[in-house]
Amino acid sequence: MGGIWVVGEVDSAGALTKLSGEAATAARALGEAGSLDVRGVIVAAEPDGAAASLATFLPVVLAVRSPETLEQTAAAVIAARVAALAAAAPEPPSYLVVGATPDGRDLAGALSALLGVGVLVGATGLAWGDAGDGVPAGPRVEMQPFGGRVVTTSAFTGDRGIILLRSNMVVAEPLAAPGRVEAGAAVEVLDVAPVRVVERVVAKSTGPSIDEARVIVSGGRGVGGPEGFAGLGELAGLLGGAVGATRAAVDAGWVDYAIQIGQTGKTVKPAVYLAFGVSGAIQHKVGMQTAETIVAVNRDPDAPIGEFADLFVVADLVAVVPALAAALRARVG
Amino acid sequence: MRIVVLMKPVPDPGEERLGADGRLDRSVSAVINGNDEYVLEAALQLVEAHGGEVTLLSMAPAGMTDPVRKALAMGAVRAVLVTDPALAGACAWSTAQVLAAALRTLEYDLVLAGADTSDGGGGVVGSAIATLLHHPYLSHARKIEPFEGGVRVERISAVGHDVLEATLPAVVAGTQLLGEPRYPSLRGIMGARSKEIAIRTLAEIGLDDRPLGGAHATTTLLDTHAPAARGSTRVVRDLDTAAAAAAIVDFLVERRAL
Amino acid sequence: MTAAPALGRLTDDQRAIRDAVRTLARDRVAPRAAEIDRTATFPEDLRLLLAEQGILGLPFPERFGGLGADLLTVCLAIEALSSACATTGLILAVQELGALPLLLAGTEEQLARFVPGLAAGSDLIAFALTEADAGSDAAAVRTRAVRDGETYLISGTKRFISHGSVASLVTVFAVTDPDADRRRRLSAFVVETTSPGFSVSRLEHKMGIRGSPTAELAFDDVRVPVANRIGADGDGFGLAMRTLDRSRPGIAAQAVGIAQGALDAAAAYAGQRRQFGKSIGEFQLVQGLLADMDARTEAARQLLYTACEEIERGAPDAGRWSALCKLVAGDAAMAVTTDAVQVFGGYGYLDDFPVERMMRDAKITQLYEGTQQIQRLVIARALLARDA
Repeated sequence: MGGIWVVGEVDSAGALTKLSGEAATAARALGEAGSLDVRGVIVAAEPDGAAASLATFLPVVLAVRSPETLEQTAAAVIAARVAALAAAAPEPPSYLVVGATPDGRDLAGALSALLGVGVLVGATGLAWGDAGDGVPAGPRVEMQPFGGRVVTTSAFTGDRGIILLRSNMVVAEPLAAPGRVEAGAAVEVLDVAPVRVVERVVAKSTGPSIDEARVIVSGGRGVGGPEGFAGLGELAGLLGGAVGATRAAVDAGWVDYAIQIGQTGKTVKPAVYLAFGVSGAIQHKVGMQTAETIVAVNRDPDAPIGEFADLFVVADLVAVVPALAAALRARVG
Repeated sequence: MRIVVLMKPVPDPGEERLGADGRLDRSVSAVINGNDEYVLEAALQLVEAHGGEVTLLSMAPAGMTDPVRKALAMGAVRAVLVTDPALAGACAWSTAQVLAAALRTLEYDLVLAGADTSDGGGGVVGSAIATLLHHPYLSHARKIEPFEGGVRVERISAVGHDVLEATLPAVVAGTQLLGEPRYPSLRGIMGARSKEIAIRTLAEIGLDDRPLGGAHATTTLLDTHAPAARGSTRVVRDLDTAAAAAAIVDFLVERRAL
Repeated sequence: MTAAPALGRLTDDQRAIRDAVRTLARDRVAPRAAEIDRTATFPEDLRLLLAEQGILGLPFPERFGGLGADLLTVCLAIEALSSACATTGLILAVQELGALPLLLAGTEEQLARFVPGLAAGSDLIAFALTEADAGSDAAAVRTRAVRDGETYLISGTKRFISHGSVASLVTVFAVTDPDADRRRRLSAFVVETTSPGFSVSRLEHKMGIRGSPTAELAFDDVRVPVANRIGADGDGFGLAMRTLDRSRPGIAAQAVGIAQGALDAAAAYAGQRRQFGKSIGEFQLVQGLLADMDARTEAARQLLYTACEEIERGAPDAGRWSALCKLVAGDAAMAVTTDAVQVFGGYGYLDDFPVERMMRDAKITQLYEGTQQIQRLVIARALLARDA
């Protein structure tokens, strides 16, 4: 039986993403349970650094040098090479594990078409299951669709598949001793239509990404304007977290879409979600309701968020935010 | 410009249910998938600026025409609905095959799709379709600008945005940042009645001999359960500001969050 | 939204239009309602929205840019808008009311001249029949239209004219033959409000529908071409009565909408407000109130829809249907909104919540386009004439 390949993702600075380490850890656990070999793949212009990082999690990592990734969108370049490597491998992989990022989804879709295999998107948990219930032995993938209203376990009906893993679901655990990096075999790259990157624009930073943050301090319509979000940023800094927002704040132009949480924005699962001036309407709720601890501060005692928060403080955020910042500073000091 | 917009009817967000067979219960009233509305709006604006027509393409159970009618009322010129009982329970891979095959029967310059769907869809189908058709795939678009023979897209990135270019025909997946969808005008609603909804079976798009649909799904649902209950909400009110702040800190400590 | 008529009653188009207007009402009108009432300002932005969405075009023939909708469809739109804001629902209702004399009796030339702007919603039209001493007694109108060559000179004062200060056209009923029989004294004219001699002399401060401007209009030898007279000399009174027969359902629709909005607010509140350890919706006295509110609203709605269908198909007793639906709906709106305030208890009395506004808004539906007492006379007369 083929093994498991983890396709690592490289950030704009050429470093391995945190999620890739989590995916590698999850894949390793699967491999151990199912007696499958696990290896990593990095396709990048300068793959060695990221490959070495990925090798701290996996016994073998293929580093594929591809200068095309500098000028083309990653997914097409990576898919063309990973699919070719998979086809040419003495034992083609049975399963591929990829981080559920925008690039990861694009990659998974392309690989699904090139390899003719199915995809399970948005895994919140991975385990190995024995044959039964009409499916062969293989990965059992936990997901939480519909904004987390239901928890499902799915499997591939055949013996192959692609799994997209959500961030912050698995804790990355390095190996006791790092694995080795090999150059990826030279293969005839598959033909995937390229997309040229003409320009990469770096926007003014909105702070740490909410995708990977353990703590998110979020603001809604009640924050009233961009100045209010500065206060939330201060709280986030004190808590080592990131700032998020509801659609209302984004539509009002107070913050960037990159930090929008909800139905048409991002879904997050932080350990702590602090919501200020957030009503908790369903469109936002579906993006954050699986956070471990939810604290909400809102002037409106009937705000829907009061029904699912763990702590609901009926108070004016304008006063509470600076008071909370002061209280947090006092603890440290 | 001939634009095809991929549209998925989904249950109203918040109303999604799984049926006894583990599949999404599609008897719940359907709406246009949120992200598809944004790309539909973008498509309508593109043809308003550059001329051309918008066609809708949907894979859905028969009779699920309300969301399609709304999209026609917004200004799409016609709809193609691929429907076949075999498709119930189709996985993402099947869906991509079906939509790609349907696209092969249409003429277009641009295919637009929503970034992902609210009913559990993962946002991989667009990429798979593009790959099957050997079209460039430009995802996470916040701006779409056609030019002679090609399209330029601003793709949201982790640090800002990338400007991408590709030749046509291309597949573009769009986001909310493309702009608020219009309300269908009443004239549009009444005009939609006379617009064509062409029904296609799998045989009509050349797929009747392929293993697709629910019976050949690449994935299957084994179990579903409600998430662990959150527990009751502790409500705190009528405290002065300092006390409220202290209550939050104490709670976070109690939950080992600090 | 808790209510929906039996699906089989409406056509697909009617359902689609109702749903589209409901969405617009929920998203764009409802958030403005409290402010419109508090500032007593005509919502020009919503007028523009209704125009852009084609909603103001509903009552008008397609050949002039309208949507050619039937009476029931127009009422569905008024109802949906009024659930969110009675003032906004009235924008459509008054547009229809003001234009009906033209639609019922105008020449093709007049229609071609006036209707395109009305259908586009860029022109608003008001209906000016009432005067200080001519309310229920409409035939007692004293505004005079004196023939002068190929024009008429109109002088007098009209009172309580909805949209009088924002309309560009006014359908005016004036005495052309003071010596004729009561029902042949009046003629109807379309007056452009830019005409010299026309002015708005007063704006009323009202209990409800405060965003709807209610004006006193002064006509001081306003010169109007013969081509602007609707129908023949002396046709005015009959035209006014036929107009009201067709426009009263619009007010009934406004009333049903107001009632539904109040019912929805009360039901939601009853589900959330907790006293004695339970939501108040669990107490039978509250349940009784809500049930009665729903029954009255639904009954008024079904009667309205039936009346629309009867009137549209040309029932000979259209006037009776029109009066029945307006009578029942107006009383229902008053009762339901009063009960809605009751469900809210003390909070219902505060303008923090919408129900006190809805109760104030409801009252007018028992007063204008014929008081409830006039409706009863119309109904009784129809019954007795039937048996004569």
